[in-house]
Amino acid sequence: MSRLEDVGLSIVERPTPEDEAELVAACLAGDVAAQRALFRREFARVNATIYRILGPTREVDDLVQETFIAAFRGLARFRGEARLATWIDRIAVRVALDHVRTRRPAPAPFGLIEELIDGSVPDAQAHARDGLRRLYAALSQLSAEQRIAFALYAIDGRSIAEVAKLVGTTTVTAKLRIWRARRELMKSAAQDPVLKELL
Amino acid sequence: MKRIEVDPPTSDSRRERIERNVLNQLAQLRSAERADAAVPVAPPSNRRAWMFAGLGAAAAAAVILVISTKGSEHVPVTPIAEDTTPSRIVTPVGGESQFTVGDAVIVAASDTSVDVKRADDGGITLVVARGAVDCDVAPRNQRPPFHVIAGDVSVEVVGTRFTVARTPSPRVDVVRGKVRVRAPGGTWLLGAGDSWQPPVTGSGVEPVTTVAVASEEPAVAPAPPPPPPVEAPRPVFNAHQQYQLAQKLEATDVVRAAKTYRLVANTRDAWAAPALYGLAELDAKIDVTRGLADCNEYLRRFAKSAQAEDVSWLRTEILRSAGRRDEARVAATDYLRQWPQGSYAGIARRIASPP
Repeated sequence: MSRLEDVGLSIVERPTPEDEAELVAACLAGDVAAQRALFRREFARVNATIYRILGPTREVDDLVQETFIAAFRGLARFRGEARLATWIDRIAVRVALDHVRTRRPAPAPFGLIEELIDGSVPDAQAHARDGLRRLYAALSQLSAEQRIAFALYAIDGRSIAEVAKLVGTTTVTAKLRIWRARRELMKSAAQDPVLKELL
Repeated sequence: MKRIEVDPPTSDSRRERIERNVLNQLAQLRSAERADAAVPVAPPSNRRAWMFAGLGAAAAAAVILVISTKGSEHVPVTPIAEDTTPSRIVTPVGGESQFTVGDAVIVAASDTSVDVKRADDGGITLVVARGAVDCDVAPRNQRPPFHVIAGDVSVEVVGTRFTVARTPSPRVDVVRGKVRVRAPGGTWLLGAGDSWQPPVTGSGVEPVTTVAVASEEPAVAPAPPPPPPVEAPRPVFNAHQQYQLAQKLEATDVVRAAKTYRLVANTRDAWAAPALYGLAELDAKIDVTRGLADCNEYLRRFAKSAQAEDVSWLRTEILRSAGRRDEARVAATDYLRQWPQGSYAGIARRIASPP
């Protein structure tokens, strides 16, 4: 039987609460190495969530940054009742929600979209780029709450229960928001075959 | 409903940039907190003593006022309860005191005496008998009015953070938002960054920026002898505010941003190091040589700071971006010598290895 390393896999231990508590304590004590470790542990997921909510805009970097600053500054309030990841995700969703509520997202720059679909054949790239642009244009017409709920569920792959927890509402409300968002998107897609294919 | 596949960008350089920004900001916040903690605060027992003395002065009013007795941290304390009688806060020389009134957070500076009055309509008035108060107040749109009176100067809050000093001379400094100042001679609307002092009688000086000291003598006969000429006080240099100003200016006026960063960097303030880092990043975009000189200055002056590693790496990045590969290799090697397990060790090894 081949070893895990031989096939490019490794076992990554899920952090126990004790580890998390230690990491949080070290961060609170101002340990830069711990802050770096926490950032690196959580970055990929926070980045993905905010990106999937907002789409390819230049503001994603700023919001990811804002999320982590808010998380580090509020770390003293983390009581360990939820997993640290969930707690940070809630901050990310709140940051994204505030952003969507107050500002219209800037149009997607090509560089980011190209990075997104790197490796595809040129035609498929153009198609994917077009689809994404239409998707996020349609999403920007929705209310902030519907947009966030839909993006978390249909793009970020969260469960309804998770969506409800992250946006701070009941599962019924979360489900309703997703359903309404989808209904609006399907209306737009009726006139738009590229968007329809994506949905 | 099928899941829509949207994969986020995953480049290492982007992650490193965001990580650097986050850690820089945290380091700056820590510096600011340290600077705050350095403000002399009276020991708890003394503070209690003066608090009770102050309460004693207003004992008949059964003042419902609690003031934090915590050592060096600024902690919001129990707000003044519903009360229309004046409450007096007196801080000792060398101490300071933070308290909340409604939605406002007030810091009374050393040797300050301030009365807090609440009107029936919920309006709040602080009367500064001496010293200075720093007020962080929410915009008043739908909220009850908030006034600060210092002698014959009245400050009405539009929504802001500001400082009102009565002694040694009346002065108002606005950190953000707007305030309306009423004083003999007129009304002034101040915005963020503005300072105000009353104009010299009859000078006709526009009072938006620092001007000469006014006489606080009441206008009663007999006429006093003319006061000796008083030199205008120099504006107080606040490194943190200047640093924030430089950050804002980066988007609009790079030259002024660089000058402001340099101004702060040349001080011995806690913000000197972040300012020099900001300057290095800014200069590097305009002039590689100057950016490198800033990095070297930083590493010489702040070798043990939390950001020294980032600055060392910034030096490598500047050289790499400028296409000076050999020098970048030397810089990466230098970085690895100091931080073999550092955040950028992986990429530094790739750069440092011979082509």
